[in-house]
Amino acid sequence: MYSRDAGLSEGRAGAVCFPNDAADVAFAITACRRHGVPFVARGSGTGLAGGATPLDDALVIVTTRMNRVVGVDRHQRRAWVEPGVLNLDLTRSVTQFGLHYAPDPSSQQACSIGGNVGTNAGGPHCLASGTTTAHVLAVEAVTPTGDTVTLGGEVPDTPGYDLRGAFVGSEGTLGITTKVLVRLQPNPPVVRTLLLDFESIDAAAATVSGIIAVGILPAALEMMDAEITRAVEDFVGAGYPRDAEAVLLVELDGLEGGVDEQVRSVERIGHEHGARSVRVARDETERQLLWKGRKSAFGAIARIAPDYYLHDAVVPRTKLVDVLRDVYDIATRFDLTMMNVFHAGDGNLHPLIVFDRRIAGTWERVYDAGTAILETCLAAGGVLSGEHGIGVEKRDLMSQYFSPADLAAQGRLVDAFDPDGLANPHKVLPAGSRCGEAGANRPVPQGAWI
Amino acid sequence: MITSPGSTPPGSTPLGLDPDELVACVSCGLCLPHCPTYRVTGLEIASPRGRITAMRTVESGLAPIDEAFTAAMHACVQCRGCEAACPSGVAFGHLIEGTRARLAANEPTDPNRGRRSVSRVQRLVRRALLGRALTWSWLLRLSGWGLVIGRVLHVIPRRLRSTAPNLRPFDVRVRSTIERGGRPDVWLFTGCVMDAWMGATHNAAAQAIRATGTTVGRAERNVCCGALALHAGEQDLARNHARRVVAAFPGAAPIVVDAAGCGAALKEYGDLLDDASARAFSARVYDVHEWLASERSLPLRTTGTTVVVHDACHLRHVQRCHTAVRSVLGGAYDLVEPADEGMCCGAGGAYAATQPELAGAIGERKAAALRAVGADRPGVVVASANPGCTIQLRALGFEVRHPVELLADALIPQPAEHESR
Repeated sequence: MYSRDAGLSEGRAGAVCFPNDAADVAFAITACRRHGVPFVARGSGTGLAGGATPLDDALVIVTTRMNRVVGVDRHQRRAWVEPGVLNLDLTRSVTQFGLHYAPDPSSQQACSIGGNVGTNAGGPHCLASGTTTAHVLAVEAVTPTGDTVTLGGEVPDTPGYDLRGAFVGSEGTLGITTKVLVRLQPNPPVVRTLLLDFESIDAAAATVSGIIAVGILPAALEMMDAEITRAVEDFVGAGYPRDAEAVLLVELDGLEGGVDEQVRSVERIGHEHGARSVRVARDETERQLLWKGRKSAFGAIARIAPDYYLHDAVVPRTKLVDVLRDVYDIATRFDLTMMNVFHAGDGNLHPLIVFDRRIAGTWERVYDAGTAILETCLAAGGVLSGEHGIGVEKRDLMSQYFSPADLAAQGRLVDAFDPDGLANPHKVLPAGSRCGEAGANRPVPQGAWI
Repeated sequence: MITSPGSTPPGSTPLGLDPDELVACVSCGLCLPHCPTYRVTGLEIASPRGRITAMRTVESGLAPIDEAFTAAMHACVQCRGCEAACPSGVAFGHLIEGTRARLAANEPTDPNRGRRSVSRVQRLVRRALLGRALTWSWLLRLSGWGLVIGRVLHVIPRRLRSTAPNLRPFDVRVRSTIERGGRPDVWLFTGCVMDAWMGATHNAAAQAIRATGTTVGRAERNVCCGALALHAGEQDLARNHARRVVAAFPGAAPIVVDAAGCGAALKEYGDLLDDASARAFSARVYDVHEWLASERSLPLRTTGTTVVVHDACHLRHVQRCHTAVRSVLGGAYDLVEPADEGMCCGAGGAYAATQPELAGAIGERKAAALRAVGADRPGVVVASANPGCTIQLRALGFEVRHPVELLADALIPQPAEHESR
């Protein structure tokens, strides 16, 4: 039941516990340390890189019952929340004050804030407002040594080393989050969402560059290709064009006059690049429906095939057109169905290979194609992951991006927090990165991949 | 490790589920926040994704059908909120119904059965209750009076306590104003328990239908939709009910239903009986609000009353016509929406009686969402289009009425209607 998350790797939970508060978490970790048992935190299990997959029979510490919004300071626009609070529930709880929590992963209705901190989660609206780390002021955590610490603080720039920055995105390898001080954003006075419809991916990608080039920074700028658009439309019926080769979803926000001018600019740039149509959502219902489609994309692919292998590479926006072409070529070469739905504005690709694991020999091709895609992205000056994290699935690709010295520096940071190597073992850093295991080039444990 | 089922022929596996339906879940987890049992427990096994994982494990022979599995499957309210939320279109309702059917069939011979398993005698009694007995109106009326009297004498079993305080002598005494048989323009499906205990709702529905200038009739004999049997895993009993219902409404006239759960069941007869006449029957079925919203607008007066709209799960997630309730009530009432996206109230047919603890926790969550929009203020009414929800919400202390009753209250009397009386 707790052997996997929404990714593709599978482990085995040694035991599972459900702490109610930070003291319970500290108790569990202290017990783990005393008996040398590894442990892994789990929120809603919506992670896409196997970050919450328990390896070495780890104790799974589930945070779903730590789900209180502890306190909202509406004037300072911040709130202390427990890790099990769901991302969208947090926003709902502050809507009455005209505020929202900005990072909005596609799984925002289901994913927890603790998991968001663990992966430094992104989302469509992180283009303008930054990923989770820009919205976390402080983290209260239990370290792998069983100590409860507060990293960061209520003041903007706490003295000393920025351990908060190191902790956000550490995927449970530096400790388990027990409370988070998040920054809240005022809701923009005006929001306009546009749907642009293209006959080619190239035209859509060129439009993205065009929009950014004239100095507009949209709140969100998303692209979906033909197949995913059809799958999504089958689910939401939002009026996405079924015959488009690519669609762009552009959201602009701010003050009325400025936004209207930006809407006109985006319309013009779209048409210049051959957009067949530009539709502006008439009202909030239509806007919500369009977003529901975009945010359901990963789930909707089961309408095409039962499994998917998803990557999360980020490439420089200027290389978008070339990289996308190469990525589709790789799919053709491996004879696989590939789709793309991604944060075009910041070049964060989500190439999605859909397959049926029941067909023998498919998985090997899928894995090889995935690796080839990442190599292409890295060669274009990209990085391994934009927001999903490394987990176990992208772990062995880390050495393609980081030098041994880079990895060793990161390994020493983990060692400082986790001297016994019990916190979420085998995640993030490839084997051999940490001092205790130098030279022991252990691969991902047998059977961890499905 | 491969967790999905192999390519064995359907029916030969422990649960007999369709492997293609089972493999359709990609474990994305978007269903979790929409599942009432997951929301109140935080447990993966109490979520749709966890239940599917458990079904897969059992189907592939990696785990037996044990007490824990059985308990997990019975803990599902079958609200199908997950189905509406699932981007992959996983047919969870079908999967859980199939699983419960296999569990029900296996119960008496289950070698691993534990303390909670039912005995052969209990099963016979249950089958009797879920079968023909539901169509005996004298028995239902008698049990209604039993609950009314039992409440006065304080001898109600603990599990039924949430039901009993809300049944008033008035509800049980109501006489139907709807004629049986004939060739009406539309049929009103009156069902079993609701007909015996909440006849006033049917009368109100008929009044609203007549106000559109349409004649309405009810079936010659009492029939039950079979949903309770289906949810309990007694598929053969449910099919028997379905066949009787199909036979009870001859002709081509629309069949209008004012209980969300019954309406959902009737609309799925095509799948349940899997034949052309059942499919044709299902195509004639309308929820009463759906039907009224598509007719000419009703002559309504503005009441000034605030109504909090509670969506029955089987109206919102299964029939997906909950917006019609707003269309028809909006002309007469000030409507308020709870902010919980139609989360289940925990009533779930017989669920409140079979799983009182979970139903209680889910109910409390619902009550908090309703209170947050002022549903507990004096003069504010909660509209609920399903008898199960109505009973559950009344037990939580709210003033609850069926939308058609509110509609009937707001109707401006028309000359035509007086003539038809």
